[in-house]
Amino acid sequence: MINQDDKLDLLRTLLLTDDRQLAESISTKISILEETLREKDKLSEKISPIIREELEQYTLNMPKTLGPAITKTLKIQIQESKDEVVEALYPILGKMIKKYISNEIKMLSESIDKSTKEAFSSKGIKRKLMSIFSGVKENDMIISALAKAHVEQIFVIEKGSGILLGSYQTKETVDEDMISGMLTAIKAFVEDAFKETHHDLQSIEYDLYEIHLHSFHKYYIASAVSGTFTERLENELENFNFEISEDISKKSILHDRDALEALLLDRFKTYKFTEE
Amino acid sequence: MTSKKIVIVGSFGVGKTSLIRRFVDETFSEDYKVTIGVHILKKTVEIQENIVNLIIWDTEGTDDIEEIRKAYLLGTHGFIYVTDITRPKTYENLAAHKTYLNEQFGNVPIIAVGNKTDLLAKGSIAQMKEDMDFLDLLISAKEGNNVQRLFERMAKMLIA
Ligand SMILES: Nc1nc2c(ncn2[C@@H]2O[C@H](COP(=O)(O)OP(=O)(O)O)[C@@H](O)[C@H]2O)c(=O)[nH]1
Ligand SMILES: [Mg+2]
Repeated sequence: MINQDDKLDLLRTLLLTDDRQLAESISTKISILEETLREKDKLSEKISPIIREELEQYTLNMPKTLGPAITKTLKIQIQESKDEVVEALYPILGKMIKKYISNEIKMLSESIDKSTKEAFSSKGIKRKLMSIFSGVKENDMIISALAKAHVEQIFVIEKGSGILLGSYQTKETVDEDMISGMLTAIKAFVEDAFKETHHDLQSIEYDLYEIHLHSFHKYYIASAVSGTFTERLENELENFNFEISEDISKKSILHDRDALEALLLDRFKTYKFTEE
Repeated sequence: MTSKKIVIVGSFGVGKTSLIRRFVDETFSEDYKVTIGVHILKKTVEIQENIVNLIIWDTEGTDDIEEIRKAYLLGTHGFIYVTDITRPKTYENLAAHKTYLNEQFGNVPIIAVGNKTDLLAKGSIAQMKEDMDFLDLLISAKEGNNVQRLFERMAKMLIA
């Protein structure tokens, strides 16, 4: 199973950090830079602007060439048209998307593997029996079990700074402060790259979650949903968020973490999300 | 506990990433990997009775500060401007860049540091300090000198 560090690494990958491969096309120049830096040669002063320029060109060209291919959200139908999507998106956000999708697939299969290993658990045996009697392939049954939508975590995050203002979660997760910062950075990166389209980034797929983002004036609400994210759930989530935001402004508790978290907990308990 | 966003800025190769790694993981590596995009790490520091949660954003190196994606700098509570004392080019625009940061992102603290003091000849640091009085602190990410102090100083300014 994927451990917490891997999850953070995955998010980091999304941010293109420390990615030597990304700079493949300019790697020769980078290694020259490395050397000159090491030798403390004055040359480095001359070389770095060239590399910078190339990197700049690289990022500048991404949105221009394939901007229209990005629609309302970054939601990717992996199963349907994996290769097509990879092809279409690849130049836009570069390797970040490609890596992300391949990680996504890797993790999906890891998760299925794990479920298969549970074969001797009572759940597993029950599933096996059901599979024998119903004729449905066991793996398909596992996939449908994975697909049940469930709101796992809700984060209220300050816009700009990415500071976590409050959260609600059904189980312990990776570091919330880092998730908040990184989500904010991804959001900023994507929104910046597609400035002309004036679209807020509305969702990010990450791990086995879809993270739904809902912007308000000073903050945004990020909800991690596991399973299949349906239109219906999206509507429910948006209503839920509106209710929360009303309460936040009524009680002015945006910067009162305890009160905010109490509100999230309370609202979450009483709100009924449909789970198909 | 209060959380604060700190952004590390400065030219290519001055040691921004090394500084954070020294502070957060207590490690140093001679490898130079270009940071692309932004990298986020965190560490808490204790100042008197206050625990301050520093969320540290590492940026790509740019010689021109205006090239950093503005959205990454929004809402920053404090900047650390890193220069390399062996490369004058990395501090020649310090004053202008500080003005730019304060004008664009609010009147928040900016601490300017000169990194790589370990490369100086023994005994020349005092002179260096005098010559480079526009720097607030001289540090070495490699050896760790003044690194903890730097972040504590920042935290102190942020809760004052
Ligand atoms: N001697 C010495 N080298 C350093 C120090 N800090 C960083 N470096 C080296 O400088 C190079 C660039 O460092 P890095 O942290 O990647 O710089 P960045 O581009 O500003 O993030 C690397 O080869 C580091 O090993 C230091 O304090 N002393
Ligand atoms: Mg770096």
